[in-house]
Amino acid sequence: MMKKFKVSVDMNEEEKYLNEMAKKGFILKKYSAFGRYHFEKGSPQDLHYRIDYRLFKSKSEFNDYVALFEDAGWKHVYGTIYSGSQYFLPVSEHASDDIFSDKESKARRHERLSQVCLLNFALMLLYFLIVLISIDFKLENLFFLTPGLWEMEGAKFWSAFWFEFPFMLWRVVPIIVLLIFGILYGIWAIKAKKLYNKLMVEE
Amino acid sequence: MNLDKCLPLTETTFYILLALKEPGHGYYIMQKVEEMSGGKVRIAAGTMYGAIENLMKQKLIMAVPSEDKRRKVYQITKKGEEVLQLEVNRLKQLLNLAQEIGF
Repeated sequence: MMKKFKVSVDMNEEEKYLNEMAKKGFILKKYSAFGRYHFEKGSPQDLHYRIDYRLFKSKSEFNDYVALFEDAGWKHVYGTIYSGSQYFLPVSEHASDDIFSDKESKARRHERLSQVCLLNFALMLLYFLIVLISIDFKLENLFFLTPGLWEMEGAKFWSAFWFEFPFMLWRVVPIIVLLIFGILYGIWAIKAKKLYNKLMVEE
Repeated sequence: MNLDKCLPLTETTFYILLALKEPGHGYYIMQKVEEMSGGKVRIAAGTMYGAIENLMKQKLIMAVPSEDKRRKVYQITKKGEEVLQLEVNRLKQLLNLAQEIGF
């Protein structure tokens, strides 16, 4: 097993990347959120990955989706109901060149990606807003709360400081992480949408 | 409900609606369309799935009960038939016009 980290909203680029990895003998086994690929070392192969982006409301909807691709000669190599990215390889003679037969439907997967990123961005923003309201918009209410901490001196200060330190981290770190991912989702939403618009007009 | 909003149909949509006069699952539609068009129109799986999703949203087709546990089976709706008829009328009109002018 080898793990690789690569983030890209461009699925055409991602397909090329997976093909190149397969040429080096690294075969995709699993994809986890935020660009973490799990490869298995095997013999170098000439593979032609195709990627769709879809989330499903139910297991039966997902099964129906996979069945359609299998009927059409594609193997669903990785993807779950909620993974978004769905990876396919052609396994039959009658599989077409691509999983899309027109430019619009091929571009639209980037629009769906953009919508999911935008939704995550909005949820994180909402959560951040709720946190801000709960602390009365005073960020200092997130840090050290021990009354009179900063007036203490010497050993007394340090023991109070270190006592509260883990609690302070417990409050602050999740919010910082959330903020970082919120910003990333916002950037990805814009990037994917721009790419969608570009691919729709491209010849 | 204004049916004209759905018009004109794309070639793909036109073929899918025609194919779903008979109930069938996604891959059945792909094969049927290829056959009806003499191999000219080949819809790929990802495009097919998106097209079904759109047509379901517009209520031009519906899911019908079937024996198949894995695959959903679809059929054209009353609304779908009306839209298809309007499109046929529109195309006939264009065809007549073109013929009158000598094409």
